[in-house]
Amino acid sequence: MTRTTSRRSVLAGTGLAVASAGCVGRVRNIMGRDRSAQLSLEIRTVPADADPNAVRIARHLSEHLNAVGVDARVDTMAQADLSRSVLLNHDFDVYVGQFPRTKPFDADALYPLLHSRFTAETGWQNPFGFTELVVDDLLEDQRRANDERRAEVIADLQEAVCELQPFTVVAFPDALTAYREGTFSGWGTSYPNSAQGLLKLSHVREGETTDDDDPVTLRLTTTDDRITENWNPIAAEYRQHGAFTSLLYDPLARPSDDGPIPWLARAWEWSDARTLRVEIRDAEWHDGEPLTAADVAFTYEFLRDTSMGEAETPIPTPRFRGRSSLVESVDVIDRSTVEIRMENVNPGVGELALQVPVLPEHVWSEYTDPVSIAGLAVDEETTEALVWNNEEPVGSGPLRFVESTAESEVTFERNPSHFLRRPEALESVDEGETEDGNGIDEEGGSDGADADEDDADDVGVDGAEDNGSGATDEDENGTGDDGDSDGDNGDSDNGDRAGDGAGEGSGDDGSDAVRSIPEAFHGKPSFERLVLEVVPSDIAAVQLVGDGMADATASNLGPDAVPRIGREADARLVSSRSAAFYHVGYNARRAPLSNPRFRAVLASLIDKSALVDDAFQGYARAAASPMAASSETVPDRLRWDDETDEDPVYPFRGSDGGLDVDAVRDAFREAGYRYNESGELLSRDQ
Amino acid sequence: MSVLLSVVLRLVFWVGVMCFVAGIALIGPARLYELAHELIPKLRASAVPIAGLLAVLIASAVGRGALQTVSEVIAFRLTGTIYAIEGPFVAWLQATYVTPELTFYFSWIYIYGYVFLLTFPFIAYAALPGTAALKRLIAAYALNYGIGLVFYTLILAYGPRNVMPDVVTSLLYTFNPDFQALTSEVNENTNVFPSLHTSLAMTVATFGVLTRREYPAWAVISVWIAVSVMVSTMYLGIHWLVDVIGGIGLALGCVYLSYRLVEPDEPIDGGAEDVAAGEDTATSPGEDGSATG
Repeated sequence: MTRTTSRRSVLAGTGLAVASAGCVGRVRNIMGRDRSAQLSLEIRTVPADADPNAVRIARHLSEHLNAVGVDARVDTMAQADLSRSVLLNHDFDVYVGQFPRTKPFDADALYPLLHSRFTAETGWQNPFGFTELVVDDLLEDQRRANDERRAEVIADLQEAVCELQPFTVVAFPDALTAYREGTFSGWGTSYPNSAQGLLKLSHVREGETTDDDDPVTLRLTTTDDRITENWNPIAAEYRQHGAFTSLLYDPLARPSDDGPIPWLARAWEWSDARTLRVEIRDAEWHDGEPLTAADVAFTYEFLRDTSMGEAETPIPTPRFRGRSSLVESVDVIDRSTVEIRMENVNPGVGELALQVPVLPEHVWSEYTDPVSIAGLAVDEETTEALVWNNEEPVGSGPLRFVESTAESEVTFERNPSHFLRRPEALESVDEGETEDGNGIDEEGGSDGADADEDDADDVGVDGAEDNGSGATDEDENGTGDDGDSDGDNGDSDNGDRAGDGAGEGSGDDGSDAVRSIPEAFHGKPSFERLVLEVVPSDIAAVQLVGDGMADATASNLGPDAVPRIGREADARLVSSRSAAFYHVGYNARRAPLSNPRFRAVLASLIDKSALVDDAFQGYARAAASPMAASSETVPDRLRWDDETDEDPVYPFRGSDGGLDVDAVRDAFREAGYRYNESGELLSRDQ
Repeated sequence: MSVLLSVVLRLVFWVGVMCFVAGIALIGPARLYELAHELIPKLRASAVPIAGLLAVLIASAVGRGALQTVSEVIAFRLTGTIYAIEGPFVAWLQATYVTPELTFYFSWIYIYGYVFLLTFPFIAYAALPGTAALKRLIAAYALNYGIGLVFYTLILAYGPRNVMPDVVTSLLYTFNPDFQALTSEVNENTNVFPSLHTSLAMTVATFGVLTRREYPAWAVISVWIAVSVMVSTMYLGIHWLVDVIGGIGLALGCVYLSYRLVEPDEPIDGGAEDVAAGEDTATSPGEDGSATG
């Protein structure tokens, strides 16, 4: 990180002269000390074409760092390269990125992110190298605590995280989507680019196009070309939010704002405090093989150790690690039943373990060997499964892979044998498989749940896009349900409900609320094909939607793209609150970023409210806590103060966008750092 | 795809019109008519450089993806370094000079002017009596692409529009997103150093000055368009000043090499004078070049 003349070269130059002067001992005393040099920090992020917002945050921080005597540089790199260097190799000083979850998440998501036991692992497992015993204890505690106490623990946890700043939360963005009216409806009712949002879309002109040979196609544009090259659901460097791989690979349960929705699992119950008994739906893999309890058991074992016990130490997957770490063992009871054993955990937390993609044993068991190139083992700590591109993904999800042209486009098609397309498979849930009687309420309960789920994203819709769409929404296979009109109702009352969209399963449901699949999903997806086209930038993405070549954008839109949507006649903008907060991550393995006091001063260099106004043009909300998307969990002290528009923990040192350079320099000095005569911040340990 | 097709068709149409008008005005109908008869033998005589150019273009088209992958592993990432060298020069340029008229002009230059600038010399030099000028032009193009490809593989850097979107607007793509369908087909956004737009434009302008006796008006026009192309790459936020300087250097090197590689024409019926002139300037293309920059 620093550029210094080596001590040896200085010694060589002065050696002769001083030796003759006869004061070798004194020279040793001087030269034996490492000298300080200006601190230099590299801020890594993706280029504006890939994400128009992240690089603005990086620039903002870099300019402020330069102003206070740090040699800061912004280096842009492709998303996969950035993920490799940050998540896999931990080779970075500072990065700017987005948290990988778009929906409000349970506080247990912080467990893999910040627990010190994960510092040596890859993926979103403590990429910061953050090791604080206090935080470790709180993370353990929130897993075990009962619901009442858990809320307190989570509040304490957030306070500790905000205090210690392993990363600085900048803002929670509004996920902006440009979509085209006319072909599909339902854009405004949910976060449209989540797996659930795409599944809920309804084809508007039912019947008109079914006579044609052309299949009903949903066309999306994205600036992220990784999905055209790699479909490995566990490869952290290739997944952003994992929406598309999660449509290929069904999980046992999908998150919703009212607790988990039973998905591949038909139902589950806690047979004792540590054992979750799960019934699996009748399903098959895309290659026709039946999906059985053995696959589920394999999945958990595989997620924990992709070498399946062959390696010296387990090689866990870089994704889903927090959830798989809840599971101790899985027993196959019969062909469609498993028992998942866990430590003594809060049931709401334990059920999060169901939200992992189920993988086919007959495919993935071939990829458990250490990686080799041309037959030579190159890395014993990596298995083939982690580096496999998974060219012909075999999942069990509602979509299956058709074809792809690298860096250009990828096509998926509807899986006709998926349970969402089999009315009888969905009805069987209502028989009340769980013995606690809650199954009886499910019919009524699910409608309400459906509406809740649709609205709790705090969706704002630009223009009157929903006019009449409710009237034309019908399920393709004519089951005649009104799932989507529900969605529209939900939309209208979202004001009332905003705020009580609990984090998925944050202990509120426990074991007694296993519900059925909401009707909005019945018979879905309503498109036969999904084509994802790669475009060079967000503006090009909007342009394709405006030209009628695409139905919606799937990747981030920046502020320059927004006015363009208004100019296109048929294009509409929908914004939904995203939990994928932008943050500045620090590599605590490297001094002086290892010092929480130093990180605290860095945090105070970021003017979050100015960034929200300028970089995001208001399409974001500044925040201090990473849990701010589930605002009910945030303690008062950490709430963003709308009055002063100031960070409650480390307010920006400056005013009206101007940095108070002297105040920051004083803060660095107070934290024990020194400046040289030319005003450069010195660092000794780099 | 159809966005790309419509952009390409528009481009072909307008460049065709410009080449036709310039051909009549600068070359003259009589020589153009003669050219129609001499074209095949002239192309045959230039077979080696043409093959070289085609080889480089095909390698670039086919191998670009693979080279990009190699590049991601081995390349030097110089975005931060380039910014450290030149600072916010491009931002200053935009902040100082941007007007809607200039944006229209430079967008037009970056796409249409540039393609015309590269296309017209083929016709103009093919219409000359000898084949040396044509061969040198083609050889210089091939060298530009070939050397450019090596640089692009070794150096990974993003342009100003990708690094400082807060102060540099991606003017070309913001106002003409269609064009990005075209440029992203032929280039990666990590290939900014050196600016191939600059180097090819500079190459043509250098040749334009070197052949000023044959085409005095073209010397002026080519320099004008080339300078506009260089400014446009920065004005539109696509390239850094460092890229443009690198491109100028690459162009001068390629022109020099093309003179070394391609023998002058045999002195037939008064062509000796031309050849001598070409030889004179060939030894010092840099001087002429710097006059244009």
